[in-house]
Amino acid sequence: MKKKEVSISVKDLHIYYRDMRRFSLKKSGLKGKGTGRIVKAVNGVSFDINEGEIVGICGKNGSGKSTLLRAISGIFSADKGSIDLHGHSISLLSIGVGFQRSLTGYENIFLSGMLLGYSKDEIEKKVDSIIEFSELKDFIYKPVRSYSSGMYSKLAFSITAILETDIMLIDEVLSVGDIHFKQKSYNKMKELISDDKRTVIIVSHNSKTLIDLCDKVIWLHEGEIKKIGKPDVIMAEYEEFMKNEG
Amino acid sequence: MKRFFNDVKKYWKYIMYATKSELKNEIINSYLGWLWLILEPLAFMLIYTFIATVVFNSNVPYFPVFVFVGLTCWNFFNKMIVASVKLVSSNRDTVTKVYLPKFVLLFVKMGVNIFKMLVSLCMVFIFMLFYRVPLTWNLLYIIPILIILIVITFGFSSIIMHYGVFMEDLVNLTNIFMKLLFYMTGIFYDIASRIEGVYRFILLDVNPIANIIYNMRRVVIYGIGPSNISLFIWFVLGLGVCAIGIRTIYKYENTYVKVMR
Repeated sequence: MKKKEVSISVKDLHIYYRDMRRFSLKKSGLKGKGTGRIVKAVNGVSFDINEGEIVGICGKNGSGKSTLLRAISGIFSADKGSIDLHGHSISLLSIGVGFQRSLTGYENIFLSGMLLGYSKDEIEKKVDSIIEFSELKDFIYKPVRSYSSGMYSKLAFSITAILETDIMLIDEVLSVGDIHFKQKSYNKMKELISDDKRTVIIVSHNSKTLIDLCDKVIWLHEGEIKKIGKPDVIMAEYEEFMKNEG
Repeated sequence: MKRFFNDVKKYWKYIMYATKSELKNEIINSYLGWLWLILEPLAFMLIYTFIATVVFNSNVPYFPVFVFVGLTCWNFFNKMIVASVKLVSSNRDTVTKVYLPKFVLLFVKMGVNIFKMLVSLCMVFIFMLFYRVPLTWNLLYIIPILIILIVITFGFSSIIMHYGVFMEDLVNLTNIFMKLLFYMTGIFYDIASRIEGVYRFILLDVNPIANIIYNMRRVVIYGIGPSNISLFIWFVLGLGVCAIGIRTIYKYENTYVKVMR
């Protein structure tokens, strides 16, 4: 295997949730702000992901998986450490790319696309295939708030899947929609992933998905990396561990 | 600062598109549609005209135009400030899913409200013709005055938006403060001719919105140039506030999502 370029490098990443939850005047007047405890969501995580690699992240609830994804996509700032994307465009595919609920699906395709760094012309070329893939038909011209949750995630999936960013971050959405759409999105996912230019990070609880799709798996535990390795090995260990935990 | 201009360039298309969709959406979703853009300021003008002429016996010339000019500027400022408090959390869906510089949200809101302000301004012209207010070249001063209003509004809104994320009771505070400011801004009375001495200075020069409305009326109704000094000082101060606001937002914007739950 030839040496590939690194596409994401995460170095000693720390992300804390300070308990600076919204304070009211009364509270802050009495106590002063920032007295809260610190929750360490991600605590000293480092790894490199090569271009074209498909990486799964597993771990129990609250182990920092989603926080890690959000940090990589630039929504959170790192409290310590660094994330280097080497200039790739990135999209976070979690349930809903981030829709303006009062606008129509059609307008939201453009808005999301533009936020992902595409020009209007590029989106215009692809908008038909997005609508077709999402199977929303006429609903695309209705406001997003009138969508069912299935339709919502179908549209979200279609946008990210068709627009094809360099790096895709997928947050447990492989179980979107009905069986038919699930199968379709799974196939589309496989097709996207098979492009050896694209780097993909998948967060999932589903061992079968991870073993099926990924090149390697990172097991997060309480904000730290417990293990990195081959999907089948790690997932077997992980499942064993979770059984004992329960 | 350089980052700010780069980001504006990068997100400009998004801002335009989002503004357009939001406007279109607002118009489509109400029964009277775009008529509201005209009806709302018109209704308020009638209310204030009634109060001022019937109750307070005011004798300001061209009173409806006088009120309309004030309302046009005030509504823009007021809507922006009130919207800014909750701006980040009302865009929760976008903000938690993808990175965008948070002032982009502010720009979109500005776009929507600037459009409304321009509609309202067109009505000012119609009223001017209707009441036969003499037209002069000084009307052209409207453009720089509007720019100053927009700069000042952006500055204050950005700071309000930042604190709005962290402080829950900022909504109540701004509501009270804006009410106070409304009465101190002289929307339906003339500060310059009614109030004297120190209070005149405080109300007219320390309060940027009153200052802008005062100058707006000078160029629109009285056909004389603006009083340049205080207006210029506010322009510079406004730019300063913008710089502070933008810097603060850049520094803290990535913690916004952590705070919002």
